[in-house]
Amino acid sequence: MTVAPDYEELARLAFAYLERQVWFQSAIDSSSRAQLELVTSRTLRSSLPGLARLVIGRGEQRFQVLVGWREPAELAEVLHGRESALLGPVFDGGEPVLAYDAIADDELLLELLVHVTGGREHASRVRRVSSLVSHASLVYDERLFMKCYRVLERAARPEVEVLLRLDKVGFNALLAPVANWREDGLDLALVREFLPSALEGRLLALTSLRDLLAHASSGEDGRVHEPGADPGSPPPGTDPDAECAAAGGDLASEMRRLGATTASLHLALATAFGDRPAGVSTFAGAQSAVAAADGPGAAQLSAQLAAVDPATAGRTIRLHGDYHLRRVMRSEVGWLVAGFSDDPLYAASDGSSPGRRGSAVEDLADMCFSIRRVAQEALVQRPDAEAAVATVLARAWARRNQAAFLEGYVTTDGVRRLLPRDPSVTELLLATFEVARELRYEATSADA
Amino acid sequence: MSSGERSTVDSPIEPAEVTAYPHGWHELDDDPRWYERAVFYELVPRSFYDANGDGIGDIRGIVEKLDYLAWLGVDCLWLLPFYPSPMRDGGYDVADFWSVAPDCGTVDDVRLLVAEAHRRGIRIIADLVINHTSDQHPWFLESRSSRDNPKADWYVWGDDDQRWSDIRVIFCDAEPSNWTFDPVRQQYYWHRFFHHQPDLNYENPDVRAAILAVVRFWLDLGIDGFRLDAAAYLYQRDGSSGENLPETHAFLQQMRKEIDRDYPNRMLLAEVNQWPADVVDYFGDGDECHMCFHFPLMPRMFMAVRREQRFPITEILAQTPPIPDGCQWGIFLRNHDELTLEMVTDEERDYMYAEYARDPRMRRNLGIRRRLAPLVDNDRGVSELLHALLLSLPGSPVLYYGDELQMGDNIYLGDRDGVRTPMQWTPDRNGGFSRADFAQLVLPPLMDPVYGYQAVNVEAGTRDRSSFLHWLQRTLAVRRQHPIFATGGIEVLPADNPSVLAYVRTGSDEEGERAVLCVSNLSRFAQAAELSLGRWEGARPVELVGRAQFPVIGPDAYVVTLGPHGFYWLDLEGRG
Repeated sequence: MTVAPDYEELARLAFAYLERQVWFQSAIDSSSRAQLELVTSRTLRSSLPGLARLVIGRGEQRFQVLVGWREPAELAEVLHGRESALLGPVFDGGEPVLAYDAIADDELLLELLVHVTGGREHASRVRRVSSLVSHASLVYDERLFMKCYRVLERAARPEVEVLLRLDKVGFNALLAPVANWREDGLDLALVREFLPSALEGRLLALTSLRDLLAHASSGEDGRVHEPGADPGSPPPGTDPDAECAAAGGDLASEMRRLGATTASLHLALATAFGDRPAGVSTFAGAQSAVAAADGPGAAQLSAQLAAVDPATAGRTIRLHGDYHLRRVMRSEVGWLVAGFSDDPLYAASDGSSPGRRGSAVEDLADMCFSIRRVAQEALVQRPDAEAAVATVLARAWARRNQAAFLEGYVTTDGVRRLLPRDPSVTELLLATFEVARELRYEATSADA
Repeated sequence: MSSGERSTVDSPIEPAEVTAYPHGWHELDDDPRWYERAVFYELVPRSFYDANGDGIGDIRGIVEKLDYLAWLGVDCLWLLPFYPSPMRDGGYDVADFWSVAPDCGTVDDVRLLVAEAHRRGIRIIADLVINHTSDQHPWFLESRSSRDNPKADWYVWGDDDQRWSDIRVIFCDAEPSNWTFDPVRQQYYWHRFFHHQPDLNYENPDVRAAILAVVRFWLDLGIDGFRLDAAAYLYQRDGSSGENLPETHAFLQQMRKEIDRDYPNRMLLAEVNQWPADVVDYFGDGDECHMCFHFPLMPRMFMAVRREQRFPITEILAQTPPIPDGCQWGIFLRNHDELTLEMVTDEERDYMYAEYARDPRMRRNLGIRRRLAPLVDNDRGVSELLHALLLSLPGSPVLYYGDELQMGDNIYLGDRDGVRTPMQWTPDRNGGFSRADFAQLVLPPLMDPVYGYQAVNVEAGTRDRSSFLHWLQRTLAVRRQHPIFATGGIEVLPADNPSVLAYVRTGSDEEGERAVLCVSNLSRFAQAAELSLGRWEGARPVELVGRAQFPVIGPDAYVVTLGPHGFYWLDLEGRG
């Protein structure tokens, strides 16, 4: 077969295929009784192996399936280990061919890159990073990353929009967009740079904590406990802040750099999407969340916030909106901001809301919360016998790195105009948003 | 011999008295690109071995230890200055370019050293101080004597000390300015280093000709090349930093041209303490220096180990541009100077001081004057890891004498003498360095209980098969078997663990494509990492030291586990 098979036939196979996919079951609107239908189809390659793009609708929802077809004899080798990608046989009057999810076929994925980038990019290798979410993640030659969307959105995807506009205003602390495949008003795929050695900030933080906690807790520094003293307690005279500063794996300089990168991000977001004066709504949500929380601290925060004149609360910008140590990556060229993602399978579950507008302090609070969380995470890995000293040190570590992050942020030229003029208001907002973030986290954890 | 005249060298070469070592001799290969694969060994002649018993190391002493160096597996010796000098800066204040300091020997001794070294397959390069002289050099004495003598313009003179005021002072601990007033000539003279080291005036063609004559003199003697001291500062210009100026490059290219024309298989190694993007200019288009030191890499190796994460190293590798064919980086862990921290940020410098030089006596200028072993708390695992990095990263490694023993330092000695103490050969008197009375010694040998010569010496190291010395000797031998370490490309691989540094050295030889995976654990704790080795799917890695076979690389991530500060060199083409 050298021409595309019957699309209606392909679509019927694709419908059944979709119904078998975990991501599809998570993504569909279960309240809708709409049936699957073929919305558009296009042949990308008509020879063998063939490649076509199907957009399948279910009510207002749209899904993309890339379909390949090959002769049965050669498909077994192609699908080796990925047989679940098979859609089924297709006939067009000649010999039957087998249709399958093209994401399983390296050869077609290499073709896809050429197609998506308009012929500007070619690669010799491709690997799949994950296929269990609403998009397929593909890495080409360890230098390009393609997100091929399965769940399509009618509105502009925040990820695509933000990346393209930040790139346009010259913000380069991100994995730069290379190509955006968009047809019929739908974002179908995004290709951006891939820096293989870039690592999540969380991993650096855990490395730093491991160094600190092992050094100080296990007596590597030669400290001698008094006879009979609890080995899990810090020896008298121990200054946890000084121990953090003196640790070889101290992360404060990196956190300062991350703070500066974050400030540059916010300034770029303000340039790309504009900034507006803050209003009551800027912190109303956080205020009510805090007000509803238990504890005198929360009540005090809420009361203090009630006294703040919104007009003095700085500017609102388009936020990152889901800013934490998993969303920033350390690379050879410094910190990179990632995670402008809008994966519908995940964004809703953790309470984040990428792409919304708000006070820049919200992103800062999210990161400060994340720093505190990772310190708690590291504690879990230490023996119970060291819990007391490790807890003291982990808290000091979090304080030190939060302070370094914020210092790097506020000392960046031009960023203060986004913040409240009065630093005490900034601190108040920071505390409020951080508590609100924690409440969201706890609620999510409880649900989980 | 006094200034400006060549010595005549016509005395016969006497056979050297040598000690037998079991291995190491090999032919000197006729290869103009030998330096790309060479392992260099830097030594301070006055501190290496005293052959005549006057308490000061000498050239004959080096000759006597050549078999040891051949056994160790080094290919080229870099000798610190052995020229006559008032010794106010370790010999970098040269008072006569044409001769050898009497306490080091004679020109004949140098000729003997070259011959004996070449017989063992070892080359010799000499430090050549081209930027300045001692203020006791006859050229300067004549220049300062009046404003109209024949050498009046051989140095850089000015009527005040205001010109080029933006140019940084390098020895900021010791010198308030780059100008010093000369009461004889009643003018200021320019010096980028100590005030007793006036800069030569390279605008003067006679100066350029004189330096080129010095170069020819030593090359005629058989020296294999030069380490060009302070090569970046030869010229000054208004409104410039006084560094890396085009005129400087033009002169170095002229020097290279003459060497290429008349002296095959010789090389120039530039000391340019700058960022890699600036240093690559010293390679020219392959027509300037054959080698340049990669200064910023060195502190970052130490930083990476202390931080237990790879980014300090991978960051500087990413900032290192490609170099022309036929050129090579010189990389090192420690040398005769302080661990220089000029090419780091202020924050990184503070970090390095806090981690490696808490005692202010350990600091000097913008650096740390300590040897390798004390820097890493005498941790053998860290020393091995750092050497594994040194021997597998792109560039020709430069070892510093004594570091193969894990020798210590003496921070109570002045200037950088603390890292230039006598080589420790035996547990006997003066560490076997000299038969002279202790009081006569050029510097006191180390006698502390940890690093002292009674415990740390060549004799003990060679007897103990599990010593660091033996480990290094074996590792150098492995490196020699795989030229890809010297000439291959490098590709840093992604690893999901920040404490793991993985890179592949790639290239080809007569047998085809080669790839060696170097993976290191920068942490003091055991680590695991997943590596993406899909390109080598189906290959069975072979560890280069023990030849052990590792699991076949499959389609999924390749899991590597490493002990504390552990490392592997794995042949990915299955020809280990």
